[in-house]
Amino acid sequence: MSNAPHILVIDDEPQILRAMRTILTEKQFRVTTASRGEEGLTLAATAEPDLVILDLGLPDMDGVEVCTRLREWTQVPIIVLSVRDTERDKVAALDQGADDYLTKPFGIEELLARVRVALRHSASRKGVQGAQSKVVMAGPITIDLAWHIVKRGDEEVKLTGTEYKLLAYLAANHGRVLTHQSILTNVWGPADADHTEYLRVYMRQLRKKLEADPQRPQYILTEPGIGYRFIADE
Amino acid sequence: MNFAMQNSSFLSHLRRYLFSFLLIAFITVLFFALRDVLDTTLVALLYLLPLGVITAYWGLGPGITSALITFLTFNYFFIEPYYTFTVHQPIDIVILVVFLIVAVVISQLVGRAQAGLAAATAREREDTQLYKLSTDLTGLHDDHAIAKILAKQVRAVAESEYVELNVAGTQPFAYRLPEIDPPTRPSELIVPIEAARGVLGEIRLWRAAPAISSSEKQLFQTFASQGALALERAWLAQAESRAQVLEESDHLKSAILSSVSHELRTPLSTIKAAASSLRGREVGWDSPARVELIAAIDDEADHLNMLVGNLLDMSRIESGALKPKREWNILPEIVGSVLARMKHLAEEHQIEVDVPENLPLVPADYVQMEQVFTNLVSNSLKYAPARTVIRIRARVEDESIHVEVSNQGPQVPSEHLERIFDKFYRITAAERVTGTGLGLSICKGIIEAHGGRIWAENVHDGLAFNFTLPLTWDGAKPPQLPMDTEAE
Repeated sequence: MSNAPHILVIDDEPQILRAMRTILTEKQFRVTTASRGEEGLTLAATAEPDLVILDLGLPDMDGVEVCTRLREWTQVPIIVLSVRDTERDKVAALDQGADDYLTKPFGIEELLARVRVALRHSASRKGVQGAQSKVVMAGPITIDLAWHIVKRGDEEVKLTGTEYKLLAYLAANHGRVLTHQSILTNVWGPADADHTEYLRVYMRQLRKKLEADPQRPQYILTEPGIGYRFIADE
Repeated sequence: MNFAMQNSSFLSHLRRYLFSFLLIAFITVLFFALRDVLDTTLVALLYLLPLGVITAYWGLGPGITSALITFLTFNYFFIEPYYTFTVHQPIDIVILVVFLIVAVVISQLVGRAQAGLAAATAREREDTQLYKLSTDLTGLHDDHAIAKILAKQVRAVAESEYVELNVAGTQPFAYRLPEIDPPTRPSELIVPIEAARGVLGEIRLWRAAPAISSSEKQLFQTFASQGALALERAWLAQAESRAQVLEESDHLKSAILSSVSHELRTPLSTIKAAASSLRGREVGWDSPARVELIAAIDDEADHLNMLVGNLLDMSRIESGALKPKREWNILPEIVGSVLARMKHLAEEHQIEVDVPENLPLVPADYVQMEQVFTNLVSNSLKYAPARTVIRIRARVEDESIHVEVSNQGPQVPSEHLERIFDKFYRITAAERVTGTGLGLSICKGIIEAHGGRIWAENVHDGLAFNFTLPLTWDGAKPPQLPMDTEAE
C-alpha cells in the first residue's frame, strides 16, 4: 500500500474533497487534501505527492499561480479542475506547466483516465530515455517515432514534413491535452504561436489521412477552446 | 488678423485711391473733349456723379481726395481763364465746398449703410453657426460626441489656435482640439457651460490675436448654453436607458427565478429519488433497477449542469460579458464535433450534413459556435417528431457564411418567428417540453456578438433556423496558409 501512487488534492470545497478522497482511496491511491493554496504548496513540498489535483478557484490565491510556483521546483504532474467557461484560466494553467485539466462536474472515469495518463508520462520522464515507447499505437494507426514511419493498417501513410512533426508531437504526448500554443511553439516555432489557423488546417489534413471518419475523429480529438488530445491504445 | 492680412489691406487701400484718380482722370478727359458743348455749371454738376460713385464704393478718404482733385481739375480745365488755378469768383469756392460736402455726406450715408449691412451679415453668420451647432447637436446622446462637435464649432468660428473643453458629470473628461497638449500660457477666454442644474463644464479658448471681442464672447456663451442643453439631454437619456436596462434585468431576474425553480427541480427530484432509494433498502443489490437508477442520476446531473450553464451564458450575454474569443476556425470541424457529442441524443432522428469541406476559415469562437449548433440541433430534436430529417447546410454568400439548420417539425406562426429568440419564450406550454427556454436566445446573443444575424423561417416541410457569420475579421479576409511543398 505504501508504494501506491500518492495524490494531493487541493480544493476549497469540502464536498469535493470528501468525494475525491473516497473515490481515490477506493481505487488504491494514497490521498492527501488541502483546502488552501499555501497549504497545498507546503504539502506538495513535504508530502512528496506523485500527482497534484488542483482546483483553479481557490480562496487565498489564484490556482494558476499555485501552478507556476509548483513548476519552479517540481515536475510533479498537475491536473487542474475548473468550472465551465473559464477556458482562459485553463489554458493559462496548462501553459504554466499543468499537465491536464478537468471541467467540473466531471465523471470519475474521466478523472481516473487523466490520472493514469499523467502518472505514465511522469514515469517515462523520470525513467531512462529507452524506456519511453518508441512506437505509439492507436487503433489501426501505428506511429514509429524512431523510424518516422506512420502506418494505417498495413499501409504506410505518406505525410509531409510538418504533418509528421505535428503527429509525432501529439503521439509522444498521447492521452494528454496539448494547448494550441504548446503545439504551435513545438511544431512551428515560437514565432507562429498565435496562428491557430495552421493547426486547424493541418489537423484536418491529418484526420483525412488517418481517421476513418475525419468529421468524427476517434484519435485526434479537439478540446474546444483549449487544444487537442491524441488518444492512443493504453 | 495677422501681419499678412494688414499688409494686404494696405494694398487694397492704395488701390482704391488709384482707381479714384483713374476714374476722375477719365471723366476729366471726357468732359475736356466736350468742353465746347457743355456748360460750366453742367460740368460741375456732372462731376458730382463720379464723386458720389467713388465715395460710395471706396470710402471717405478717396472721396475727399477726389473732391479736392476734382475741384482742381475743374478749376484748371473748365473755368476761365483755362489752365490756371486762379480762383476768381466766390462761386468757385462754393463749388469746392459743395464737392466736399457731397463727398462727406455720401460717405457718411454709405458708411452707415455698410455698417448696418456688416452687422446684419454678422448676425446672420452667427445665426447660421448657431443653427448649424444646434442641428449637429440634436440627436446626440453621447457626451463625448457633443464635446467634440462643440469644440470643433468653437474653434472654427473663433479661428483660434487651440480649444479645450472640460466636461464635468459622472465621468469628467476633457476634449482638446487639436489633440495635443494645450499651450503653456493661460487661455484667452473661459466660457462656462451652464445649465439650470449648475455648471456642466467650460470652454477654454486660446487666441492671441486679434483680441476676442465682446460680441464674440456673447456668441460663445450662446454656443456654451447650446452645449449645456445637449449635454443635459444626453445625460437624461442615458439615465433613462439605464433605468430601462435595470427594469429589464429585473424582469429577467424574476423570470430566471421562476424558470429556475421549475426547471432545476425536475432533475433534482429525479436525482434525489434515485439516490435515496439506492441508499435505503428498497432496491436490491442485484436488481436491474439499480443500474437504471444510477444511470438516471448520471443523466439528470448532466441535464442539471446544462441548465446551469445556459443560465450562466444568458446572464453573461445580458451583462455584455460574452466576448467571443475569435480564431480562424473550420466550420465542418465544429459541426462534426457537435454531432459526435450529440450522437446518442439524435438516435431517433436522421441528421443530414451539407457543409462543404472547402469552406473558407471563419473567424469565430470555437466553443461558442459549438454551443450555437448544439442549441439549434437540440431545439430541432426536441420539437421535430422522431424519424424525421434534420438538415445542416452551410454556404458562402457575399462576405459571410450562411448556415441553415432545418427540421421537419411543426411550423411557427409567422407573428412568433421573431419572438422565439426572446428569453423564456415558448410557443408550446412549458410543461410539454423541457428546457429553460434560453437556448435560442443564447444563440442569438452569440451570433450577434460575432457580428452576424440569426432568424427563423417556415419552410415547406417544417422550420429552418438561419444565421450568418461574417468572413472578415477586423477587415481581414480568411488567411491563405503556407503549405508544405514536400511531396504528399
